[in-house]
Amino acid sequence: MPDLAPLLDPATISRAESLGLAARFIVEGYMAGEHKSPYRGFAIEFAQHREYTHGDDTRHLDWKVLGRTDRYFIKQYEQETNYVARILLDGSESMRYGSGPLTKLHYGKMIAACLAYLILHQRDAVALAIFDTVLRDYAPRSDAKDTIHRIMARLAAFEPKEPTNIGTVLHDLAHQIRRKGIVILISDFFDDEQKVLEGIQHLRFGGHEVIVFHVLDPWELEFPFTGLVEFEGLEAVPKILTRPAEIRKSYRRELEAFRTRLRDGCERNQCHYVLVNTAQPLHEVLSGYLAFRLRTTAK
Amino acid sequence: MSFLNPFLLYAGIAAVSLPIIIHLLNRRKFQRVVWAAMRFLKVSVEQNQRRMQIEDILLLVLRCLLILLLGLALSRPVLSRLAKSLFGSQVTAVLILDNSYSMGMSDGTMTRFDKAKKAAEQALDTMPAGSAAAVILASDIAQPVIPEPTFDLNLARRTLRDAPLTDRATDLAPAIERAIDTLQRRLLLRGEIYLLTDGQSSAWRQLGHIQKSLDAVKNKIRAHIVLVGEHEDHNLGVSELRLASGLTPVKQPLRFEVRVTNYGKDDARDIRVTLNVDSDPPSDEFTIDSLPAGATKAVSLFAKLRSEGFHSVTARISEERLPADDKRTIALRAIKEARVLLVDGEPGAEPRDSETFFLRHALVPIAPDEAANYFIKPTVITGTELASARFDDFDAVILANVAEFPETTTRNLENYLRRGGGLVIFPGAKVNTAFYNDTLAKKLKLLPATFGAPRGQADQDEKFFTLQEKNFEHPIVSIWNDPASGTLSSARFFRALDLVPMPFTQPPTNKTTTATAPAPDAGEPRVILRYADGKPAAMERDFGLGRAVMFSSTASTRWNDLPVRLSFVPLIHRTIGSLIQRRDEGLNLRVGEKFTRRAAPELLGKDAQVFKPRATDAVRDLRRIEMLGGWPMFQYDQTDFSGVYELSVAGAEPPVSIRFAAQPDATESLLDELSAEQKKMLASVSHLVEWGPKFSLKDQVARERSGSEFWLPLMFAALLVAVAESALGQWFSRSK
Repeated sequence: MPDLAPLLDPATISRAESLGLAARFIVEGYMAGEHKSPYRGFAIEFAQHREYTHGDDTRHLDWKVLGRTDRYFIKQYEQETNYVARILLDGSESMRYGSGPLTKLHYGKMIAACLAYLILHQRDAVALAIFDTVLRDYAPRSDAKDTIHRIMARLAAFEPKEPTNIGTVLHDLAHQIRRKGIVILISDFFDDEQKVLEGIQHLRFGGHEVIVFHVLDPWELEFPFTGLVEFEGLEAVPKILTRPAEIRKSYRRELEAFRTRLRDGCERNQCHYVLVNTAQPLHEVLSGYLAFRLRTTAK
Repeated sequence: MSFLNPFLLYAGIAAVSLPIIIHLLNRRKFQRVVWAAMRFLKVSVEQNQRRMQIEDILLLVLRCLLILLLGLALSRPVLSRLAKSLFGSQVTAVLILDNSYSMGMSDGTMTRFDKAKKAAEQALDTMPAGSAAAVILASDIAQPVIPEPTFDLNLARRTLRDAPLTDRATDLAPAIERAIDTLQRRLLLRGEIYLLTDGQSSAWRQLGHIQKSLDAVKNKIRAHIVLVGEHEDHNLGVSELRLASGLTPVKQPLRFEVRVTNYGKDDARDIRVTLNVDSDPPSDEFTIDSLPAGATKAVSLFAKLRSEGFHSVTARISEERLPADDKRTIALRAIKEARVLLVDGEPGAEPRDSETFFLRHALVPIAPDEAANYFIKPTVITGTELASARFDDFDAVILANVAEFPETTTRNLENYLRRGGGLVIFPGAKVNTAFYNDTLAKKLKLLPATFGAPRGQADQDEKFFTLQEKNFEHPIVSIWNDPASGTLSSARFFRALDLVPMPFTQPPTNKTTTATAPAPDAGEPRVILRYADGKPAAMERDFGLGRAVMFSSTASTRWNDLPVRLSFVPLIHRTIGSLIQRRDEGLNLRVGEKFTRRAAPELLGKDAQVFKPRATDAVRDLRRIEMLGGWPMFQYDQTDFSGVYELSVAGAEPPVSIRFAAQPDATESLLDELSAEQKKMLASVSHLVEWGPKFSLKDQVARERSGSEFWLPLMFAALLVAVAESALGQWFSRSK
């Protein structure tokens, strides 16, 4: 049995719970409950009125308003609903990098584990997909409490073997996923960002909300090496011998340009882009993002 | 371009490969990192690769250049004259100023020494700022007055101006060797030797050696030889002055032999030679009518010494262009009387049969009624009375045919000799040769020889042998080199004992003589007189302060007829004189020699004042009387001038006042110049210039100087390269 404990950092879980994930995720769902759906329809909690148009169900006419004002208004309700969150974790070889004992993949697995736990805790459904060039592992959606164990086991057992091809994988998923939901994409995105963005666009076109967790190691961000260094690529790239101190600025510039393109692409597709530095504590990353999400979506 | 230190140049060139090797090694030494974000790294490297390669090459070139410049600078390169104006031309020079007495030769307005000083100052004037100079005064010794080159050229100038002209001879080799050594001990750009001399050939007697020495260093050291001597054909000198009389009694006419030499190329006429004692007017004079070129003439002049003690006697000729050799002074000690103890080993029945009969008459060769006033006071005792004799009452003891004597007498005699007494031994039929040989010669080492086998028979007169006829070397008998003094060879010897010289090994030199270790008493045995067949007829040996003389035949006519010959009287007188003057032998020395004389024990630790010739009354040297060889000794080595030196000890009771004299080396009077061939030899290893009316050393030297060192600019360039390398390294390693 793979060790699941590291994937469920108790501090992270409790911090995320305290923020009340249930109150903050407003998603489309089919399980009425604690979650408010942004899709306003005819449900339990009144949200607002709108004028009647042809084709509207007359059951939702607000008779009281008609009696008082002689005008036709339809009552709209906010529907507390269940949703499906699909966590897509990049399991390519490049995710194996870590300047310390913690690799990006490990960190990504922790993000996935935390989010899965929290979502399941709120009785929402979670699906997990781990991919590289193709989909390597998939846990179908489930809202059962014990689903978490299966997810943890899959996460813990996964070992990267192949390089990345995110774009293709996203396109395939966009075709396969019928039900709209939240797609949480965790990756370093060391791939052709144009194809990645096209994949994201495809998902968005399918009506999914996409959240991008861009996981990078602090050394990948800072490039702190000195002296003469031979860099050996994790994904079958020829070795490079250089003095990194002399090209640090250039490297950072390139990386920043890449990030900017990725972030801008995400914004264009109305996705949330979250840069995750693996040096940061996970609870800070998650609570920071959830707070941000609450601020921007609670209208 | 040449290099003073070429080894470092090769090392520097070899070291240029070091940065390249280090660069290549560093490329093999790197850290390995497994990396994910290769695409950004690849783009960055592609963007910067070319620039980094160029920077690497530039830094590598700078590092190689730095090593090369350092190697070049340390190898001390010298550029040709063309580069001189760029880098200056400091000189390190040694100036050798000849101050021998031939340099005192005047041309009527200036002496050679003045010219040499002037040339030396010109040499100093030619030296650029930053140059250094040492000064050596050269005569027969090298006297370094500024031993190591000083940058204070004014000090060198003052030293040259104050340099004294001495009465020493010249040998330039030691000074040149010393100058070369001084310059070679320093790694120099331009080492120069300036030798200012008069070109007298005797000064260059080691010319071959000098040429070799200069040739060996000619690439590093340039020698400038300035000959200031102008041709001179005329020089007369007093080449010798000596006491011809055997003894120096007061108020007795003493004969001095003065030798005058014509060193010039022309005959000289009417040379007036005078002799004076102390500072008195001349007591005698003689005029030499004619003296051919190169000839020497001996003149006998007489003087009387008025009082007991030390006197100086000076022979002069009229002063010429070279004044130093126109007079010569000796010091001597006048005695009031000479007491001689004659020990008669065979008194005989008649006075005439006495063994000492002829000796007594020879010692006092005047009428009996005047004998009381005569300065030699002989006392005759028999062999049996010898045991009770007080030797210290006598200046000399003569043992004539004394068989032997008891051990106490032997000891007394040994101590007497050690304290300065004189002993003369004549053999005879009664002599116990075993006693003389074993006790006096072998055991006590008092005698110069042992008695060997007898030869000849005394009782016949057909077979005889004679003394040598000529080639007398010893001072006692040297007067017989002059036939006018008579002859010794007419004496007939019928019997004699062979004199077998005592073996002798030369003691260590003075350098090893310690203050307290006693010097050996017995000196080297010397032959005074030989028979015609070469066998020694008389020998002597110094013992302590005294001296023993040993004859091989009798003092009477028993074995020979010498006592009845005319030459017997001067022989005995001169022998006694030699014994008495033994303690005064060191009074006359060659200029430059050290004066040493044993002092009384109570004077130990006291200071002796020495007044030098030429010095004013105010100038005196002080010398402490110290132990040497177990005895308190006066020592004085600053005898640079000829003439009389007076030594006195302040506060001594009785007063101590000694005179000694230094005589110049007569070879210095020879004014023979270097031949054209010899000058050519010198010119092959040096820059040889001769003093002329419009002499300018500056122009000559300026043309000669052929290079300048420029390690400093190279070092500066290396520093600049180092700074540039460091700055560029910093700049290049900045992140871009």
